[in-house]
Amino acid sequence: MSQLFLLGVSHHTAPVDLREQLDFARRGLPDALAAVIDRPACGEAVVLSTCNRAELYVRCDDAMETREDLVRFLGEFHDVDRESLAPHLYDFASVDVARHLFRVAAGLDSLVVGEPQILGQVKDAFTAASDAGCTGSLLNKLFHWSFATGKRVRSETELGQGAVSVSYAAVSLARKIFGSLSKHDVLLVGAGEMCELTAMHLRAQEVRRIAVASRTSGHATALADKVGGSALPWSEIEQTLATADIVVTATGSPTPIITRESIAAVMRTRRNRPLFIIDIAVPRDVEASAGAIEQVFLYNIDDLQGIVSENLARRSAQIARAEAIVAEEVDGFMAWLHSRRAVPTVVALRERFEAIRLAELKRLEGKLTPLTPADRARVEDVTRLIVEKLLLTPTERLKGLSSADTVRLYSEALGQLFDLESPRPAAQRPDDAVAEAEHPAAPKTSVTS
Amino acid sequence: MNIAPLLLYAAAAVGYAWHFGKRSSRAGRAATTMLAAAALVHTFIIGMQTTEVGHLPVVGTTGALSIFVWLSSIAYLYTETTSNERSMGVFIVPLLALLQIIPTVSRYQVVARPPVLESPWFALHVSSLLFAYASFALACVIGITYVLLFKELKAKHIGFFYDRLPSLQVLDVMNARAVTIGWTCLSVGLVVGGVWATQAQAEFSDPRVQAMSVLDPTIFVALLCWIVYSFELYARRAIGWTGWRTAWLSAIGFAIVLLNFLPIGYFLTRTHNF
Repeated sequence: MSQLFLLGVSHHTAPVDLREQLDFARRGLPDALAAVIDRPACGEAVVLSTCNRAELYVRCDDAMETREDLVRFLGEFHDVDRESLAPHLYDFASVDVARHLFRVAAGLDSLVVGEPQILGQVKDAFTAASDAGCTGSLLNKLFHWSFATGKRVRSETELGQGAVSVSYAAVSLARKIFGSLSKHDVLLVGAGEMCELTAMHLRAQEVRRIAVASRTSGHATALADKVGGSALPWSEIEQTLATADIVVTATGSPTPIITRESIAAVMRTRRNRPLFIIDIAVPRDVEASAGAIEQVFLYNIDDLQGIVSENLARRSAQIARAEAIVAEEVDGFMAWLHSRRAVPTVVALRERFEAIRLAELKRLEGKLTPLTPADRARVEDVTRLIVEKLLLTPTERLKGLSSADTVRLYSEALGQLFDLESPRPAAQRPDDAVAEAEHPAAPKTSVTS
Repeated sequence: MNIAPLLLYAAAAVGYAWHFGKRSSRAGRAATTMLAAAALVHTFIIGMQTTEVGHLPVVGTTGALSIFVWLSSIAYLYTETTSNERSMGVFIVPLLALLQIIPTVSRYQVVARPPVLESPWFALHVSSLLFAYASFALACVIGITYVLLFKELKAKHIGFFYDRLPSLQVLDVMNARAVTIGWTCLSVGLVVGGVWATQAQAEFSDPRVQAMSVLDPTIFVALLCWIVYSFELYARRAIGWTGWRTAWLSAIGFAIVLLNFLPIGYFLTRTHNF
């Protein structure tokens, strides 16, 4: 019986330098896919490679054998010796593969739980494999099921919501105040790392202009170049307050740089347009009392950190809900896996009935010769239809069975009743026979759905 | 009046509340569908009444109220579709459902207008005022949501409204737009009403027509409304008032509109009780 198997490393098990070595994108995903599918043990394969994980999803017959083979493959393909690889690998078989993939697609296995990119990455990995012809009915089903699970978790829980970094929290606040940021100017005071990070996020929102002021003009110019802004003399900060809508301050100054008076003074020129000030410096760069001015939104590092930790708490409260959805979907997938075991019996049953039909037609050959070709075709159609209709309910019932034991019981009984040859396991059949049993090209009557 | 629109408005109100509370997009879509159905059925009923009496059934406060609810729901649906923002529904649709109770349970009959109202001025006067009031209702709701979000942002305790409402900027622009449209219609309605009342006073001896002056409660309060909204527009342009100040003004203005509609319209006016 063919089954699912997964071998991989992720940020949970491997340090970043090993993950870098195992990055499939580095050597080209198509090459990797071709190499995996060439291994005799692998019937179908998908390679999922992101900066936090490298995973091989395959269909195989023997899990132990495949594990050996894939470990060898990983080492050879990436030129890593086995000893340094082995302690960081994890593997799953059968329904546990589905559980793992569904958790990955839902963002539950990510470094930042609930981050949204991973679902797209899983989709891309599947598309690449499917385009290369490396997937069949089993992995198709598994991956489509994982997309649906990821989507469900996204829409039914709040797992991915709320900023979880200080700089992103600042940007989402800015968006809540100004809406689109494309018509707003940014003033950065200070040229440190936090300023740079926040500026990068703001630039991604396509702010109109970024001005950088620093006591050391060289630093200002350097940061301005990095974030695509312009450097500003230190003395022009106060007059720029009149035009900028978002101000980020992060200097090492021991005393406040921007006072309440200077802000109150520009509010008139600003015609009361809102001013959003993000003061991430410790000690603070902006007088705290400035926050009392009506249209000034003043957030310091603690305020932002408070928002982040609230969001993180909310996310973790959503994890249980997300896990429950994953468990539900895994159950569904497991039922499908079990029902799939009935496929060989279904195929054998259909073959048996078809053989009888053909034999009877052959026996009546003599009596049928006087018929016109059109009538001949009708006889053909009618007999086929009868067989289809006879098999309709049994086929559906068999595929609806969800426990492995019942499937075995029914298969044995049917084998005895209809004198079926003991059905060959699905793995040894060509895939199209399995697909045929799942979606028979039946004449008009829908035999399965 | 037929109960169907009321039931649909109420169902839509529940849908919007569910959508807002649970952030369920399915409930939101259902609420919009329900509200659209309510507006459609309401249109149909008003259409029937119009063919019955030969003009829009706006004679009397109850009839006007029904038209007001109808226009507001259409104005809201328009705003929702153009701004792609469903979160305001929970603030306005329940109000519409409540107001719709009055025409539904009162035993009012649509009657043909008395001869004094048979003038094209009358139709223009009433419809522009009702449209103005519908816009003010929207402006008020947008203003309230603005204040709620503003307070959360100022208190640096983001949460419930932060997750559910659009940005302050968007709310501010929507408020300004609604007030501008409403103020324009209000001005037209008042001027037309004045011109028409002067004409009618010369022609008819009806005491209600003769009593029409600035001192009548309905007319006085309508003028008060005009002053409030004119000030809001002036403050926005000239003083640079934005945000929560104009939001409050819209709320006050609409409170006056409701005052004019319900207690004054039903009990106090000596001129607008046809």
